Amino acid sequence: MFLQQLVNGLVVGSVYALVALGYTMIYGILGIINFAQGEIYMYGAFGAVLTLAATGNLGLAVLAGIGSACIVGVLLERIAFRPLRGTHPLIPLISAIGASIFLSSLARLLFGPDDRSFPLEFHPASHSILGAAQITGLQLVIMCVSVGLMVILTLFVNLTKHGKAILAVAMDSDAAKLSGINVNRSYVITFLLGSALSGVAGILMAVYYNATSFSMGTLPGLKAFSAAILGGVGSIPGAIIGGLVLGVAENLGAAYISSNFKDAFAFIALVLVLIIRPRGIMGSRR
Amino acid sequence: MSVYFLHVLILVAIYGILALSLNIIVGFAGLVSLGHAAFFGIGAYLSGLLMISGLGFIEAFILSGVITAILGLFLALPALRVKDDYLAIVTLGFGIIVTLVFMNLDVTGGPDGLVGIPPVMLLGKPLYSKPGFLALTVGILSIMIATVYTLKQSMIGRAWAAIRDNDVTAMFMGINIYTYKALAFITSSFWAGLAGSLYAHYTAYINPHTFSMHTSIKVLAMVVLGGIGSITGSLLGAALLVLLPEVLRPLADYQDIFYGALLVLLMVFRPQGIMGRVKITEMFGRGR
Repeated sequence: MFLQQLVNGLVVGSVYALVALGYTMIYGILGIINFAQGEIYMYGAFGAVLTLAATGNLGLAVLAGIGSACIVGVLLERIAFRPLRGTHPLIPLISAIGASIFLSSLARLLFGPDDRSFPLEFHPASHSILGAAQITGLQLVIMCVSVGLMVILTLFVNLTKHGKAILAVAMDSDAAKLSGINVNRSYVITFLLGSALSGVAGILMAVYYNATSFSMGTLPGLKAFSAAILGGVGSIPGAIIGGLVLGVAENLGAAYISSNFKDAFAFIALVLVLIIRPRGIMGSRR
Repeated sequence: MSVYFLHVLILVAIYGILALSLNIIVGFAGLVSLGHAAFFGIGAYLSGLLMISGLGFIEAFILSGVITAILGLFLALPALRVKDDYLAIVTLGFGIIVTLVFMNLDVTGGPDGLVGIPPVMLLGKPLYSKPGFLALTVGILSIMIATVYTLKQSMIGRAWAAIRDNDVTAMFMGINIYTYKALAFITSSFWAGLAGSLYAHYTAYINPHTFSMHTSIKVLAMVVLGGIGSITGSLLGAALLVLLPEVLRPLADYQDIFYGALLVLLMVFRPQGIMGRVKITEMFGRGR
């Protein structure tokens, strides 16, 4: 039982971690909380589901999902965030909340109010036994994809020119500009990366729960936001750890304490951790 | 005045109290709260339950404010260890936890909400008339404006302003920043509790959905739209965001799209809020 909940928690947690990476990168570079990250995740899922229903091609559907998430993310940066640089921190927050309300109600109009199932069935038949716990093939795929993307992101940020530019802008955007870095391009790349990760996370969850709806992004978005904060916002390993911790805390809490309060455990864990470490697990004191 | 118009005015006054109470945290002390609807809800449920259990209106009204203020202190204790965006997510989490508690307790009626809340009783008579209720709400709002205005000018208000502008400097000036931040939370949640009490007795029925995160966001939007820190601004923001859904009603399904887009556009084109730095007292030539 314990091991099983741990496995389930790690699977969901790895998806939270993907979305949390988007939050943390955008926060690290722009210093703003992108409240609409959950909506990007939702558009990613819809892009994939609709393309798959129309063409039947899974590869194309995944690309379409990531593509639509990226388009939403870049538009968001251009319209709702770029004009607000250097204002009171609450201003971009409200703007992002407005964007999130706009995007989810637009999705309700475009795609209808009902849940959609994933047009392709995945057979969870391939159970591999891991001690007392069972892990389905699908869960394994979700974890592998998430971990793979985390590794790729870490390598990209630390080793490539554009990645290092992002780190430089996050550290000091004026100094980065003076050393010839195109700051606006770094912002766009950050939003592209964050949105692509959220898009993938949305697709994975659309398959996992076999449900896609206009409101699917709200709670995972908030939990990923908590995960980013829990890990120490701005820190890439922090977002990963935060996501996993929240996923596990939520599943264990639901299993052992009360499933009615499932959504509360993520936040209770957050408050408890922040009382002990006010800047998150991996957070640095700036 | 039509009954419908009176109803809208009463809601504007109640949300005015709520927005102004949040402005104490956000505008005066410079802190963030994304969970303010929780205090609104705690006040509403407390007042409803106290009156159902046999207390008079005035006792229930005052107690709901006082108990909500004490709970505000309990949130402030852990919340004030963290700053800025960390505070935003802690308060947001608090709001979600409180909504889930309303949703799952028996005494609060679970997801169905609390039914049959008695009306306001004044001088032994129930207050059913809308003009009467409006007068009561506006009366309380006026008392609040007077106290909040006085508070803003007082030593406490100036300490808050110092913390808001630079908390390290404030600390060096000998201001105990934790005490004053906690005081902002206590004062704010007291008034939010009172607003909740009025709301509960006005609608006679409350459910957890009314006090969800969406309401917290809406109240914060009222404060920011009106102009952070401005008393007139908070009231104007409350009026605007209560009236907006009424005005947008013909748009039906497009309402939320419009609301979301409006928030973004207002932030992009008028980030200082409607009132900005203009003070209503200056507009009428009384100077500073």
